[in-house]
Amino acid sequence: MQQDIQILIGGEAGQGLVTIGQLLGKALVRAGREIFASQTYHSRVRGGHNTFAMRVGAGPFAAPRESIDILVALNAETVELHRPQLTKRALIIADAAFAPELPGAIAVPFGELGPEKLWNTAALALLGQVLGLQEQQLYQAVEATLGQKKPELLEENQEIMKKSREWAKAHLPEHDFVLADATATADSTQKRLLLNGNQAIALGALAGGLKFCAFYPMTPSTSVVLELITHAETMGCVIEQAEDEIAAINMAIGAAFAGAPAMVATSGGGFALMAEGISLAAMTETPVLTVVAQRPGPATGMPTRTEQGDLEFVLHAGHGEFPRAILAPGSIEECFTLTARALALTERSQSPVFLLTDQFLADSARPVTPFELNGITPVRPGDDPEKVATPYRRYRLTPDGLSPRLLPGLSEHLVVADSDEHDEDGHLSEDYGLRTAMVKKRLQKLELLKEEVTAPTLEGDQDALLLVCWGSSLGPVREAAAILRDRGLKVGTLHFSQVWPLLPEQFLDLLQKADRVVGVEGNATGQFARLIRRETGFTIAELINRYDGLPFTADFLLERLETQRAETGDR
Amino acid sequence: MKMEKVEQLRHYYLRHDKKFPHVWCPGCGNGIILGSLIRAIDKIGLSKDEVVLASGIGCAGRMPVYADFNTLHTTHGRALTFATGIKLARPELNLITVMGDGDATGIGGNHFIHAARRNLNLTAIIINNQIYGMTGGQYSPTTPYGAKAATATGGHLEHAFSIADLAVTAGASFVARGTVYHVPHLDKLIEQGIRKNGFAVIEIMAYCHTQFGRRNKMGDAVTMMEKLRDRAVAVKDPGAAGSPGTAVAAGASDTPGAAASAGALDSDSLDTLDGKFAIGVLTDVEKPDYIAEYARLRAASRLNAQNAGNAGK
Repeated sequence: MQQDIQILIGGEAGQGLVTIGQLLGKALVRAGREIFASQTYHSRVRGGHNTFAMRVGAGPFAAPRESIDILVALNAETVELHRPQLTKRALIIADAAFAPELPGAIAVPFGELGPEKLWNTAALALLGQVLGLQEQQLYQAVEATLGQKKPELLEENQEIMKKSREWAKAHLPEHDFVLADATATADSTQKRLLLNGNQAIALGALAGGLKFCAFYPMTPSTSVVLELITHAETMGCVIEQAEDEIAAINMAIGAAFAGAPAMVATSGGGFALMAEGISLAAMTETPVLTVVAQRPGPATGMPTRTEQGDLEFVLHAGHGEFPRAILAPGSIEECFTLTARALALTERSQSPVFLLTDQFLADSARPVTPFELNGITPVRPGDDPEKVATPYRRYRLTPDGLSPRLLPGLSEHLVVADSDEHDEDGHLSEDYGLRTAMVKKRLQKLELLKEEVTAPTLEGDQDALLLVCWGSSLGPVREAAAILRDRGLKVGTLHFSQVWPLLPEQFLDLLQKADRVVGVEGNATGQFARLIRRETGFTIAELINRYDGLPFTADFLLERLETQRAETGDR
Repeated sequence: MKMEKVEQLRHYYLRHDKKFPHVWCPGCGNGIILGSLIRAIDKIGLSKDEVVLASGIGCAGRMPVYADFNTLHTTHGRALTFATGIKLARPELNLITVMGDGDATGIGGNHFIHAARRNLNLTAIIINNQIYGMTGGQYSPTTPYGAKAATATGGHLEHAFSIADLAVTAGASFVARGTVYHVPHLDKLIEQGIRKNGFAVIEIMAYCHTQFGRRNKMGDAVTMMEKLRDRAVAVKDPGAAGSPGTAVAAGASDTPGAAASAGALDSDSLDTLDGKFAIGVLTDVEKPDYIAEYARLRAASRLNAQNAGNAGK
């Protein structure tokens, strides 16, 4: 089996490196290849050091690799920063002015190929030549992006691509990165979508019946809303950029109250402002979905990097006691399915539901087969006014805690909500007995949420080494496990795509049976391991944490598993 | 208005059999405002089901509890954001928010200016009693300089701003100021505000004899009411119809102060305990409201899509 190839394009913001990456990705996916693209960027428009990483090969992949096979350096800094990651076989494509004296370095006279503004296109063509892509495949991707709008640009780009290919044919050294002919294996009739996690969340929300989204821009959540805006007209979904996150959550609650399935998307700092509104949604029993795309905190932290540090925050946000559910997708596909599911769940339970993701998943793109829409029913908000018991009581005390929810202005029934404690009619009350009954009623809905818990997924072997993870860590953890199994070890992975509520009967015996349980979390303190201990009494004694702002990779996990094993003794 | 009619309105619009007696202090002007509100809605002829009344927290925030509309008693400062969500989801509903000065322009100040800028078709009634009443008399954004409050025992060090001016600057389509003394005038202003297509602000100068008057030795409720009468100066309505003068003529005893002519007041003296301030319609401009703009954008993008489709054929 041919080894997969990790490409890294590095440079300053504004040098067009994302364009190279996206066009290359598009061409590769159309040619039936498996890719995994991820981005790291600084929180700035120009300058800084940004990278676009792409893994190509037999795949499918769900994580990047730490080591680099092909480095495209648009500036000198890129070479210096990534030199330690280069594999022995690595190629370095760099301008002749700063190309290093290293084996595999290709000093490209970009100045001779064309004007500086087109150097990114030149680099793209060089990459295409290295990988053995057909000229037409790359050119089609460029054409589709530039479109018919700017034919003069298209011509210039075509010209520099041609020149670059010719230069490459004459000057490329021997290398083993030419992709094997994929035409035999790839099913070219199978349409695929190149999507990142945030795009899949937006599509899942729309499939689930979303009609309203309010937000205040915050990386890495904003692209969820940008994707929603693209489809808002077709799907009849209203998007509102609010003055702040406090307004955003309250607008969403207002819209949901009025009958529009609603969500907000934010990150930790913005979610801090939403905590008050979450509590209001709980008290008024208004459905609302909150997407929290995590990034390292506290405060502004590292705006464009990743972390799984807000689990406990989301679990406890909002004053007062009320039930909630937290879903944490582990893949692009789960971003789609779980968002639709979360929207249905918040409507069904009339309780706040959260989707917890992070920058890694948000900005990682992979080709996926078009999603299965059977089994996703768009949310139909509220109850039928013809069917409610009269007199209508919005907060009628019922055994399961669910009360009829009518929408305002659609019937003779008057629709009321109150953020104060209220009676069954929805009117403010300070009656102590009623207060107790209402608290019980709201908490009773946790049982409904428990009935719909997505069980954790066990993959691989039981009883031996068990890697426990949640949310976006799934891809790298499974890859590490697969590598260990190839080496003849017995390894299993247990992934939670729902982190609250937890049902011990779904997983406790697996933890107890395994010889060695290792918790893998993208935070410093092992928040999920602590939650498992709180709910089950089981202590996950061994943890692998990463909190430098970068995502897990199989390389990172294997190295840590090895050292920790040495430290704890061979068990 | 005849007493029978009053009785009728009261029974129709108020949750009279459930929620009374109300929480407001004897002598409070909030009940007068509730009366004005239901008379205005009755005059326009809206059914109870077409109206959504949303409020925040505070004495003013309690108003929806007594009125038999679709009502929402939300969190402190957030009434407008909640109402915005409802309006965007269901533009056919008539949204009215009732807030106090602290609710609307303190904790909710950011939402207030942006709601004005957004120009959704909402009516914002702001009761300005210059103090946080319900929580015990802490100073608010409209407490005058030097006034005493529970949190300004030696006299307030900060200055008040004018809610109406803020609304004008932020872009509200309709801005009016009334008082709880000039009741028929207030009925008319609220009616105009609800009828206005766009963001309409009605600032109502009220008083809190319990928390503000007592601390500042301003006398009882009646004295404070008389003070409002003397401080208010009518402006000439910028729109031709419904000038305060005409509106007030219906109830002669409520005619605003003697200096009731345009230009008699250079600026409001709301940062003092006894300065003059203008009442009437302060701004009334025509501009497309947000829902209309949204509809225009959608129609345009549909047209573009159609044209693009045709061009491709």
